[in-house]
Amino acid sequence: MSEEEKSRLRQGYKTKSPQLTMKEIHKPSSFEGALWAAQGITDARVIYHAPPGCYLMQHMNSICNEWHPEMYSTLISYAEVMQGTGKKLEEVLEKVVAEKPQAIIIITSPVIEITGDDVQGAVAAAGFEKTVIIRPTLGGTLADGKEKAFIALTELMKADGEKRKKSVNLIGPTYNTFNWRADVFELKRMLSSIGICVNAVLTADCTVDEIVRAPRAELNICMYPYDCGIECAKKMQEQFSIPHTASHIPLGFRESAAWLDDIARFFQIDAKQYIAQEMKSARDFITTLLVTNTFFESTAALSTDNCDTYSVGISSFLKRELGMDVCMASVATDEALDKVFQVCATVLLNPSIDEKKAVLLEKSPTIILGNYYDLKLATDLGFKNFLYADIPLIGYIFSETTPFMGFMGAKHLVQAMGNEIYTKIFIETKGEMEGAISSGEVPWELDAERALGRIAEMLPHFIRSIALKKIHQVADETAVQKKSSVTLGILQEVATKYTPTRFKSKYATIFTDIKDTPLVPDGAEQTEFQMEWDQSAKEMLEMVPDEFVAKAVRETEAYAREKNYGQITTAVVDKYRKKLGF
Amino acid sequence: MSLKSYEHCCSSCIALANLGKIEGVIPILHGPQACTFGNQIGSMFCRPSRLLTIGTTLKKSEVIFGGEEKLKEQIINVYNQYRPEVIVIINTCVPQLIGEDLKGVITEVKEKIPSLKVTYCETGFNQPRSTPLGNDVSWRAIIDVLEPQEMVKGSVGILGRAGQDADSLGCITSLLREAGITVYAFPAGHLNEMAKIIKAEYLCPIHIVPYLTSKRINERFGSKTVYIELPAGVAGTTNFLRGVADLVGNNELKEIADREEKRSLPRLEKIREQFRQKPTKVLLVSGPANETSMGKILAEFGAEVIIVPSMRNAFARQEQDILQKRYGSCIIFHENDFNKVSDLVGLYKPDVVFGDFQARVEVIRDLIPCLINENYLNEYGYDYALDFGENFFENLKQPFFTEWKEMMSRYAGESYV
Repeated sequence: MSEEEKSRLRQGYKTKSPQLTMKEIHKPSSFEGALWAAQGITDARVIYHAPPGCYLMQHMNSICNEWHPEMYSTLISYAEVMQGTGKKLEEVLEKVVAEKPQAIIIITSPVIEITGDDVQGAVAAAGFEKTVIIRPTLGGTLADGKEKAFIALTELMKADGEKRKKSVNLIGPTYNTFNWRADVFELKRMLSSIGICVNAVLTADCTVDEIVRAPRAELNICMYPYDCGIECAKKMQEQFSIPHTASHIPLGFRESAAWLDDIARFFQIDAKQYIAQEMKSARDFITTLLVTNTFFESTAALSTDNCDTYSVGISSFLKRELGMDVCMASVATDEALDKVFQVCATVLLNPSIDEKKAVLLEKSPTIILGNYYDLKLATDLGFKNFLYADIPLIGYIFSETTPFMGFMGAKHLVQAMGNEIYTKIFIETKGEMEGAISSGEVPWELDAERALGRIAEMLPHFIRSIALKKIHQVADETAVQKKSSVTLGILQEVATKYTPTRFKSKYATIFTDIKDTPLVPDGAEQTEFQMEWDQSAKEMLEMVPDEFVAKAVRETEAYAREKNYGQITTAVVDKYRKKLGF
Repeated sequence: MSLKSYEHCCSSCIALANLGKIEGVIPILHGPQACTFGNQIGSMFCRPSRLLTIGTTLKKSEVIFGGEEKLKEQIINVYNQYRPEVIVIINTCVPQLIGEDLKGVITEVKEKIPSLKVTYCETGFNQPRSTPLGNDVSWRAIIDVLEPQEMVKGSVGILGRAGQDADSLGCITSLLREAGITVYAFPAGHLNEMAKIIKAEYLCPIHIVPYLTSKRINERFGSKTVYIELPAGVAGTTNFLRGVADLVGNNELKEIADREEKRSLPRLEKIREQFRQKPTKVLLVSGPANETSMGKILAEFGAEVIIVPSMRNAFARQEQDILQKRYGSCIIFHENDFNKVSDLVGLYKPDVVFGDFQARVEVIRDLIPCLINENYLNEYGYDYALDFGENFFENLKQPFFTEWKEMMSRYAGESYV
């Protein structure tokens, strides 16, 4: 992707948002990253060297989403910060050491990062050997914090002991990583199916002993290569000569197969039969009536910018393996942006909620995959089809049963998305069980009839007829009640009230257009879009006089074909305008 | 010295939640990213879901060079975009630590926008009892910018504990209104409604939290604060109403109190009988100050009560004295530090624990009933207590614990706890 295009993606939607943005409210920091990585080590004691408020917020958040995350704190007061916090840390350490934990992990809070208080001194005074200190940086990202924690934990690792044959470490899952429990479970299942065992998981639900013995694995697998784990894997490669793999994300059937195939090759295991069996089952599942019927005409918006690995993997899966249009995705890094852009024309880099809102309204996706704030936004905007796929959550119950990764994960994702889309749209477009089938003969005004035709074009075929019937019927009923024919106004009222919510914003433009636009005179050229135009590019056509729009579309598309552009973006329109000397 | 805190959240979070419930007020959270993220998502649990939370999200460079410019910019942005009546800066630990000049920022911004009302409260590590003080300091900040209004003679201001109270003060205010007393309730859903509190001649807090708020109202507007007692449970509510009646010389309110007490006593007696049949020891650990009010209700029922208090202000001390005189050795205030709630469980061996989320997961894993303090807010008046008492034993879900204990001992071995 060119720098110009990247720049547009970063900046393009901001101009449409209010001046004030709330960019960061859904983004955890490096402090969360370090804490979540440490909390997952079940027999270590985590001490958050922090004021009570910081400790409370962190612990409460984890408690709402994880099973039994435990942590202690120094609970430092303002006075203690002023006088130095070393003594308090020493006292807490003394108590914690008395519990005889397998390891102690101290994480400093923003306040300690500012005062720069000596942590090492208190640790030395406590004299507990297996103590790890993690100091996240102010302004660091979630991924930075996790990586820093992983690297710090390598201090606990020991190179002695024999290699565990056909074993791997899974690096990356931490507490509060969305769905980690189910994803790890599924990947372990797949690995075990070809005779590979997991030596250690860094770090969710692992033990200190697993970390100590991590160098005994033959291969490190980075589960979230677009987020974290690679630096730790490199360090382990350097220190313990363990190679690592991060080339495939096991999201979707293709990548799950490729991921397992790569690992099998490394261990010289013949996994063909197992993979073939999974792929046949996948094909049988994907080609069922409802899957193809639902996904081919649906669009998805991915708002998973707290987990770029999910953004990259799921967008590719939906587009390539399900034939679904990914109409929006959000990511946190340039690297993920480049990757996702291959399957999605609108990729937002670290968008604010306002920026997401603008794009959701414009794209009207059939389903949104995202976090709590996206769900709230979607609900407020009238988008009913939603699936959690990222943090933050407002409290969510998780177990091993709902993976996104691996073969089972791909199936689960299709199942969850498909059912969400199909059932909700189907129910939404049905009439009431006791409603009348027809209101008799009701005349329709021409504008209204035209508008209904335009509405039809926006509906996926799998619900088009039932949705139209519903709209038609309710419009008839309303007209009868009002003792009128069906007018454009009545249709608009009905369309707003009784139709699948995701189309409402688009309907609004239909009614405005029809009110403002006279019928096309006989002989005038009608505008025909043969290629895909993104909304911003379409909006540029508004600058073109009406009588030249059809020509402009036709010739821009001819130019795009000549230059092998897959779709019309503002960049393409600009280039063509330049060519014409504008 | 404890290893964990068992309160609900940071005072910054509760200030955000508290202010976020008032139409006309917009809070700005001044702190680093970790602070913004945690407090924002935390406050979403208990405030209207307007996604409008403005953070300054200080970066490292701003910590070094000061975040005042960013704060000014956000104040002006918020004002231009939303035109709130009041902006409250929630000044968290980090800007306090680096000595941000908030008064200077406010003065400078007000020079640019004279009509702007902007104030601040300091939260975080200077509030050792985190949760309830977030309510008190954020309200005090609001009081600082209210314009004077004429005091109404004989009127009573009812001060609650938290934003949630806005919807549940009717059980007290309706009785005062029935007696013909002019009542102002605080908090309320809209700033203009809340602002009427300064017209009250007497301020009668109905919780132990708003000490600083009532003090500031008194300092600025002259209302006289009279702490009577927590109007929770039958005796508490009756005594509160009689106290108000004495204060404003209103005999009708005394008659109403008698009537309500008479109405409530038969139900209370039935509840007491249940507690006599099932003697119950309850440990209540530092809730958003409702550990004291719920403890008060349970003591009235006849339970043996141990309270780990969250508040130590003058109101809290008065209330503790009242309860100790009324219930003697049946009520204990545990003020000493402890490492974990499980230590207190070991010490007191309660039948049921009231605690916050941390305590819940810690205690219930050992299959001991633990109710969450946050679920027992709005605990004012007669009927809340009676309803709570009538359903208390059912709500403990003892059959659930029995079932799991039996299953675990049968299938998971003896060492399951």
